[in-house]
Amino acid sequence: MARMLGYVILALTVVFALAPAYRGDVEFPIRIHHLLHAVILVGAGVSALLLTRRSPARLATRAAWLVVSIVAPVIAMLLMWPSNYSPLDKLPAAHTFEHLGLAVFGFLTAYAGQQYAYGVGTAMTLSLWAMAFLAAWGFGVSPPLQVENVAAASAANAAPASTNATATADVAHGKMVFAQNCASCHGARGEGGMGPSLEHESTRKNASQAIAWIENPAPPMPKLYPSTLSAADVRDVAAYIETLK
Amino acid sequence: MSAITIDIGASAPPSALDLRRARAVMWTYISTGLAIFFLMMLVGIAMRAEQAGWITYDPGWFYALLSLHGIGMITAMAIAGLGTLWYLVRREAAIDPRIAYLAYGFFVAGVLCVIISVLPGKFGSLWTMLYPLPFVGAYWPSWATGVWLIGNALVMIGFMIWCAQILGALLVRYGGITGMLGIDYVFNTRAFQTTHAEPPPQMFAAAITAIDGIIGSTFGLAVGVGMLVHWVDPSVAIDPLWAKNLIYQFGHTFANLTMYMAVAGVYVGLPLCTKREYHTSKPLVVAWWGTLLFVIIAYFHHLYMDFAQAESVQFIGEIASYLAAIPVVVVTVFSGAMLVHRSGMRWSLGSVFLYAGMIGWVVGGTAAVLDATIPVNLDLHNTLWVPGHFHTYLLQGVLLFTIGWAFVNLEQRSGERSSLFTRWLAGTGIFGGAALFLISFYIAGANGVPRRYAVEPGVGPQYAGIATIGALILLCGLVVAGIEAYRLARLAKAGTAENV
Repeated sequence: MARMLGYVILALTVVFALAPAYRGDVEFPIRIHHLLHAVILVGAGVSALLLTRRSPARLATRAAWLVVSIVAPVIAMLLMWPSNYSPLDKLPAAHTFEHLGLAVFGFLTAYAGQQYAYGVGTAMTLSLWAMAFLAAWGFGVSPPLQVENVAAASAANAAPASTNATATADVAHGKMVFAQNCASCHGARGEGGMGPSLEHESTRKNASQAIAWIENPAPPMPKLYPSTLSAADVRDVAAYIETLK
Repeated sequence: MSAITIDIGASAPPSALDLRRARAVMWTYISTGLAIFFLMMLVGIAMRAEQAGWITYDPGWFYALLSLHGIGMITAMAIAGLGTLWYLVRREAAIDPRIAYLAYGFFVAGVLCVIISVLPGKFGSLWTMLYPLPFVGAYWPSWATGVWLIGNALVMIGFMIWCAQILGALLVRYGGITGMLGIDYVFNTRAFQTTHAEPPPQMFAAAITAIDGIIGSTFGLAVGVGMLVHWVDPSVAIDPLWAKNLIYQFGHTFANLTMYMAVAGVYVGLPLCTKREYHTSKPLVVAWWGTLLFVIIAYFHHLYMDFAQAESVQFIGEIASYLAAIPVVVVTVFSGAMLVHRSGMRWSLGSVFLYAGMIGWVVGGTAAVLDATIPVNLDLHNTLWVPGHFHTYLLQGVLLFTIGWAFVNLEQRSGERSSLFTRWLAGTGIFGGAALFLISFYIAGANGVPRRYAVEPGVGPQYAGIATIGALILLCGLVVAGIEAYRLARLAKAGTAENV
């Protein structure tokens, strides 16, 4: 009965993995896409665990089973490369192939682990599922910005932009950019930490100078423009720094 | 998992040849771990001397060395501890040395990658490699980041292999997860004892290391692969808070587990010294359950200053920090002290190190628990107090347990004990040097000197000077112990004691 159920779940998983070949123009957000990957992995893992349910309780002398069970989740995680950015996503056949890879490595993780020692496959399968769900939390996903909180706080604190360089700047957005990229060194309110305090920075640099500094900082301050910050981000964060008193 | 039967062959006592092979595995791990430890100590001395103003070099090199020292020390202690624990498991259950060597190969390859990324590459975003720092560093090229990430991934894969092997061995040996974790023993003792032997204390250390190690490596590999992908394709976004949570989950768990790996040496070594048995007891088993459950979420205490983190998890981190450490420390140290009390034990380097290690564990653990307390952490976060506590934990806990077990093993097999002069020389160097070295961290930290500064403000340089002197004395003590270990090892080779 368990074996039969295992085959049925495996067949359903393969069908589900083949779906990209027929999906047309449907686009999923990355987070949802990761969760769909997780469904494939859960299906493949459950089927393998059911199919190996009567494996003997012994340690296999073939170490290869253990290695396969450990390496397969790492390869599966690589296959979870956020596909909105990946060339694989542009080619449905390749995308389908990637999903089949997930099914294969999800199956192998459980099957090989159980062949090595009953219970190891279960542990490694849980590990792989956890990786898939963790991926949905932040792999290829931008941080969720609490816009309403930051905007409300900014409205109370923000001063008007002081120079032409930041005349069109969005101070609230600058505060968010600051929180994500600068606060770890300069402190949550620019009070200083590992990096210097930015309070009253407007008395030391005008907005144009602040922008120039952020774009081309001296070490050890990291250069985040243009790899992480856009020109608008730099302008906005400079405007926010000008408001720090 | 719990319904399986025990393979009698797996629980049969190992032959003399098996034990010799297993000892070879253990010494390969321990000697490699201690060799890396020695090199990392030199790196640490170079950093403290620079902070003291005795030598000068580019701050970029300081952060590169800090990165190497941080990850190198934890990995060194882990390799030594894993070797010890592997051998102690092998005495109880059948496991294949080839898999242990395979895991070792991954460790060595990972360490080499890390060294390459730091020495020619000057990678300097520390072991915490907080996103996006590894990718925007001003001092190192992109390839160094990639090699660093690959090195970390190799270490994690090696650790995962080790953990899975031990997990499999314990599942088979003790009849599934409930037998292995002592659940059957606690809730149905009589029935359990008719079918299975109770797991000895060191098996709980092995079980917790294996399970929490797999959980930690899961988090580590998830973020490690994510960052590798970002390195290849920078357009793939990474959530910085996600990355920080996962990195610290792995890092804190891995670092914490080094103690639980090494403490297995106490469970086996002290009984050999006192000629008394260290019994498994229900409080001991329950205390280990606390560690099993809470060590994986204690890491939240590293993120107290992350205001974007949900407030509830900060409190979870505080409580988990207490529950992960306090019960197992109390039970182990109390029962260890009782084992020694009126046992007539003769003090040797092995027994001194094991006993002193318990004291170091208490001191380092207390400092850690203080730092995990939120109101205290508000003052001590990112001061030198933090390295103070984990240096105590590692130097006076993990290291002493590791070399203590190594000495007990050599002393038992050689039938020799070090001379009083050697014991005083090694002991004075190791304890005196460590005291000087560690106290400077605590006092400077309490005075608000920040950690991770190439150039320290305030009283920092003065205490860095004291720390450098302490570290040099400690180094001399360790060299004396190393020479003595070599002498005992030569005698042990000719010895006939095969069951240690």
